[in-house]
Amino acid sequence: MNEIRASDAMLTDWREAAGRFERAVGSAVLGQDRAIRLLTIALFARGHVLLEGDVGVGKTTLLRAVARALGGAYERVEGTVDMMPTDLVYHTYLADDGRPRVEPGPVLRQAEDLAIFFFNEINRARPQVHALLLRLMAERSLTAFNREYRFPHLQVFADRNRVEREETFELPAAARDRFLMEIGLEAPRDPAVRRALVFDPRFHDTDALIAAIDGEVLDHAALPGIAAAIQHGIQASPAIETYVVNLWEALVRPSQAGIRLPDIDMDALVQGGASPRGVAFLVRAARVRAWLEGRDWLVPEDIRAIFPEVMAHRVFLEPIYEMRRAAIVPELCRAVFETVPAP
Amino acid sequence: MRRSWLSRLITTPDRVDQPTDSVGASNAGPLSRKERVGVMYASRPGRSTGSGFALLVILLVGASVPAQAQVRALEIRTPRPFGYFLGDLVRAQVDLVVEPGFTVQIPSLPQPGALTYWLDLRDIAVTQAASGDARRIRLDLTYQTFYAALDARALEIPGFTITLVDETDRGATTARAEVPPWSFNISPLREVQPPAREDPRSYLRPDGQVSPRDPRPLLVGAAGSAFLALLALAGLARDRTWWPFGARRSRPFGVAARRIRALARRPDAASAYGEALTALHRAMDSTAGRRVLADDLDAVLARRPAFRREADALARFFAASRQTFFGPGPEAGQRTVSLREVASLAGRLARAERAA
Repeated sequence: MNEIRASDAMLTDWREAAGRFERAVGSAVLGQDRAIRLLTIALFARGHVLLEGDVGVGKTTLLRAVARALGGAYERVEGTVDMMPTDLVYHTYLADDGRPRVEPGPVLRQAEDLAIFFFNEINRARPQVHALLLRLMAERSLTAFNREYRFPHLQVFADRNRVEREETFELPAAARDRFLMEIGLEAPRDPAVRRALVFDPRFHDTDALIAAIDGEVLDHAALPGIAAAIQHGIQASPAIETYVVNLWEALVRPSQAGIRLPDIDMDALVQGGASPRGVAFLVRAARVRAWLEGRDWLVPEDIRAIFPEVMAHRVFLEPIYEMRRAAIVPELCRAVFETVPAP
Repeated sequence: MRRSWLSRLITTPDRVDQPTDSVGASNAGPLSRKERVGVMYASRPGRSTGSGFALLVILLVGASVPAQAQVRALEIRTPRPFGYFLGDLVRAQVDLVVEPGFTVQIPSLPQPGALTYWLDLRDIAVTQAASGDARRIRLDLTYQTFYAALDARALEIPGFTITLVDETDRGATTARAEVPPWSFNISPLREVQPPAREDPRSYLRPDGQVSPRDPRPLLVGAAGSAFLALLALAGLARDRTWWPFGARRSRPFGVAARRIRALARRPDAASAYGEALTALHRAMDSTAGRRVLADDLDAVLARRPAFRREADALARFFAASRQTFFGPGPEAGQRTVSLREVASLAGRLARAERAA
C-alpha cells in the first residue's frame, strides 16, 4: 500500500516536472505546443524521434531546447553523403607528435552517460550509417574498441529535411520502424507568433535562446525508471485493448473494415507495416499521454492523440500510392478513427 | 368444284397403253402405284389452293423420246382460264412427277422478264419434295398480261422446256420435260368503265361503317397500368431516396431510446448498463456520421445545435462511459449516471431529434 502511494506521489511529482519541462521548451520554441507535447511523451516513453519538416521551421532549435531542458550528455552529428559508420564511432587524427591516433567518436565520446544523440539531416547519410543506428536505437548498445558499450539513457533524435530529394537516402523501413514517432513540424500559423518569431531579436540568436532555458528540469538518469513506473501504473481495460486491436486491423486491412477513400482501391492500398512493435510503441506512448493528462487508465483519446505520429510512418503503401503518401496516410488514419467504434 | 373434275385429265407417259380416264381411275381396276400417286395428287389441289381454285389440267402425251420416261406425269393448273383483264396477274402451277433422284436444273427454267410484247413472267418459284418412290416438282409461275384486248379472245402462253438432272457417283443423267403452251381468255376493259355522271362526288363510295365499341375495358386497363407504374416509381424513389423519401432522416436516438427502455427492464442491471451505454454511443456515432469520443462532444454539438440543451447531461454520460469501459468499472459509471438517467437522456435526445 505504501509502495503504491509512494509510486503515486512520485508519478505526480514527475508529472509536474514534465509540465515545467514543456513550459521551459515552449518559452524558446513558439507555436509548437503539439510537437513539444509529443516530444515529452517520447521522452517518457523512452522512444526515438524523427523530426520532419520544412527548412528553417525550428527542427534543430526544438531538439537543442529539449536537450538543454533535459540535461545530460548531448552529442550531435551532421549527416553527409561521405559519412561512414566508423565516423560516428571513431575519431582518427594525426597527433602533435605526428602519430596517428584513434579516439572515441561522437557516439562514444560521452561514454555511457550519453542521453541525447542528435542526428541532423539523417537522410543525407548513407544506408551504412542507418544500419549502424539500427542496433544503437533498438538495443542501446554498440561494439567498439573490442568491448561493448551500453547507453542506458540514450535517445536518438533525428531530423530530416523533406524538401530536398537530391543526394539523399530514404531511411530503410527497419530504421523507420525503430523510431517511436515521426513528428511533422510546420511553421506556426498564428500571426502573433509569426510576428514574434520574425521581429523579436530574442529568436534570432539561437545559442542565446537555448542558453536562456532552465537547464536540467528533468533528471535524465531517472527517466528510464519513471518510464517503467508509468508503463506499470497506467491501466488498460479490456475495452481499450479491443479498441487498439481493432484499430490495428482496420489500418492494415482498411477495405474489410469498411473504409472507403475517394479514388483509391482500398484492397490494394496497404502493402504491409504496422508491426507489433509499432502497436506496442503506440500503447506505450498512449500510456504516457494518459499519465500526462492525470489519469491512471487509458482512454481512446490517448490513442488518437498520438496515433498519426506513431503509426503513420510504419504503414507501407503499394508503390502506386507511395508517391501520394503524404495525402493518403493522414486520411487513412482519420478514416480509421471515424470507423472503429470506441467502447 | 365440279367443273375442275370434268376438265381434269391425267397421263402416265411411260404407260400410254393404260386407260387414261382419270375420273374413273381410282376405281378402274388395277392401277400401278405410280398412276395412283398421280391420281391422288391430281385430286388434291382443292386443299392446297382453296376451294375456289378452278383446276385446269393439260395432258401431255408427247412422250416419244425414251429419255422422257423419267418424267412420269406433268400437269398445269390455273385458277381459271377466263376473266382476265389488262394488267392482271395470271398464275399457273406446273406439277411434275419424276423418277427419284431427278432435280430441276435451275438454269433451264424460264427467266423472269418480258416473254413477248404483251406478256411478262413476273416470278417463278420451285419446290421439290420426295413422295414415295417418286419425286414431285412444283413450279409456281406468275405472269402478267399487258394485252389491251378490244374483244374477248383466247391468248396462248408459250410453252417451255426444263431440264432434269440425276447426278450420281457414276455420272449425270438428264431428262427433258416439255411444258406445253396453254391459253386463257382475256376480256376488254372498255365496257367495264363506269358510266359518266354529272356530279363527280357520286363516284365516291360511302365510308365504311365502324361498329361502336365499348371503351370501358381499355380505360380500366389504362388506369391499372398507370397505378402499377406509379407504384413502381414509388418503389424506385424509395430505393434511390428521392423526394419524399430522401427527406426522411433515420432517427438513431429514437431507436436507442427504445432499446435502452427495454434494457432497463432487464433483471441483470450490470450488463444491461454497459449495453445501454453502447447503444447510446452508437446513436451518437450515427448522428455525427463518425465515431464520437468524449473529447469530440463539443464539436458534434456545434454542428447539431438541436442537442445543445443536453450538453451537460451528455458530458456526464461520456464521463460515465469512460469510467465504465476504460476506468474503474461499471460501478463508478453507475454512480456518475444511473441506468435510469441514461434512459431519460436517450428519451430527451430522441424528442430533440424528432423536433429537429
